[in-house]
Amino acid sequence: MTALRLGRPLLLLALTLLLLAAGEVLLPGFIGPGQIANQLKIASFLGLFGLCQTVVMAAGGQGLDLSVGAIATLGGILGAALMNGSNAMTPIGAGVAIGAGLAAGCVNGVGIAVLGVPPLVTTLALSSVIDGGLIVGVSLAHPANGASPGLVAMTGRSFHGIPTVAVLWAVIAAIAIWLLSRSAWGRRLCRTGANPITARLSGTDTTRVRIVAYMMSGGIAAFGGFLLTGYVGQAFLGLGNAYVLTSIVVAAIGGVALAGGRAPYGGVACAAILMTVLVSLLTAINIGESGRQVIFGLTLLSFLMLDRYLMRARH
Amino acid sequence: MRALRYTGILPSLLMLVVVIALNARLQPHFFGLPSLEDNIATLTPTILVCLAQAVIVLSGELDLSVGAGVSLINCLLATVPISAVGGPWGLMGLALLLALALGAINGVIVTIFGLPSLIATFATAAVWFGLALALIPQPGGELDQSVGDLYSGTVSGVPVPLFIVAGALLIWTLLGRHRLGRRIVAVGSNPAAAFQAGISVLRVKLAAYLVGWLLVGLAAIAISAQTLSGDARVGDTYTLTSVAAVVIGGISLAGGRGTPWGALVGAIVLGIVSNVIYFAGIPSIWQEFFKGIVIMSALGFMVLEQKRAAVA
Repeated sequence: MTALRLGRPLLLLALTLLLLAAGEVLLPGFIGPGQIANQLKIASFLGLFGLCQTVVMAAGGQGLDLSVGAIATLGGILGAALMNGSNAMTPIGAGVAIGAGLAAGCVNGVGIAVLGVPPLVTTLALSSVIDGGLIVGVSLAHPANGASPGLVAMTGRSFHGIPTVAVLWAVIAAIAIWLLSRSAWGRRLCRTGANPITARLSGTDTTRVRIVAYMMSGGIAAFGGFLLTGYVGQAFLGLGNAYVLTSIVVAAIGGVALAGGRAPYGGVACAAILMTVLVSLLTAINIGESGRQVIFGLTLLSFLMLDRYLMRARH
Repeated sequence: MRALRYTGILPSLLMLVVVIALNARLQPHFFGLPSLEDNIATLTPTILVCLAQAVIVLSGELDLSVGAGVSLINCLLATVPISAVGGPWGLMGLALLLALALGAINGVIVTIFGLPSLIATFATAAVWFGLALALIPQPGGELDQSVGDLYSGTVSGVPVPLFIVAGALLIWTLLGRHRLGRRIVAVGSNPAAAFQAGISVLRVKLAAYLVGWLLVGLAAIAISAQTLSGDARVGDTYTLTSVAAVVIGGISLAGGRGTPWGALVGAIVLGIVSNVIYFAGIPSIWQEFFKGIVIMSALGFMVLEQKRAAVA
């Protein structure tokens, strides 16, 4: 089992090194220290959104959160409006953004775990409500949308060559890995995902576990959107859209199964790095949006097939 | 009448009556012929995509790539010169062939390779979108007017879109009486039992994908005939709409339960809601929000009704 758990991250890291080497051959300078730091920054955001999917997919029941993009935009716009460009207000902006994300996640969780609406439909419907609400809010209130200098520095700056945001991601990732694979809650989450009936019979409140999973996803997505505002410099409608597809791609490539019961965040984090390097390589060799989408889809399909093959081989 | 007794469809019929009443009150001459024709022409693609999703969902699978598929077919139609395929009918044949090919790819991935359809079709959606974008990077391109004329024309007084929908529903009805229709429901409700009964689960699911994508192809033709141009994002909204219509129509996403009439009702409800929002004079910035709220309340209403029905 341990071999299997380590196998995925190692495979992904090997692929990443391969891509980096290919990049260096094609375009000398592709793996300069500045380049690597930059890619780590981008991977940090993707990794955070991948964590959202990891948690809800592990909770099972065809778990999926298609509202991470809308919630991220919500977090970014709310946070920017509150901090209004001032450093002093930045923590409050972050707090309110996360609070809004938790609330949105709670709506998802209640719809899915209590009412029994499929996750796909619930999260898609909620994201259209949030997106629609944001259009109204932004056009009526014209809120401030700039990030405070402190937030810009935190998400953009490097410390001894290591980007601060990557350090933040590493800390969150370490906590997540502990929480998902070592803590009692993580075990309840995976038990719920693997077999909700036996989990309930053995005393796990599966409804609560699922609601908390969607709340976590919402909170992390909103925080991700807030950080993204700092990285981009300002919040705007559609800020988080690109992460809906990519977060699911990295979760699936990282070894999380849609069937639930597994939450290997180490693999997801490596997948986030791999996909970031892949995108930057494709961009560097002038492959446009269309080619990137096709390659994204095909990569996801190949990893799904690999998982399928491994599952058959094990049985 | 048996369809009506199915618990799922009554609440959605109620919703249908409410939105039609609202629309008739708001839109001048709603029941007048020109406005009816217009509404039917706009609703046709939505209805077709929702029926497509319904047949795939009934077989126990799902397809999140229908929207991107519509876009890809639309972009192909806007790229291929009409002279190369011998007129509008050739162009439509080409569209249906591409639709069948896309459906076959999805079907094979889901059945023979055994990948979970939810995430596998999510992946193929990215591929279709990428290909569409490669064909038409910026919205534009041009379709021959003859395709548009065919769509907006009439056959012995009946508008062509109505014919298409009626044809699709006829296929559906025949499917329900034919072995394949019953097999799709059997496979969707209990694949293991269907397999024990000697039904090839793989083949039936593959057939469901092909039938579904034939309808997606028709929808793409209808959209292209209306816009007469190509746009790699033209189909984007259809994925959510089709899944929501299926749920609102009382079809279980777990497969095997529901009727195509439910999907029809769901599609019309969602299609007419945009009309209602437009004619109610709601400022454009509120439209997205209201649409989201309506979809959400419709879903909540359906689910609560079904729970109530299950308890009673």
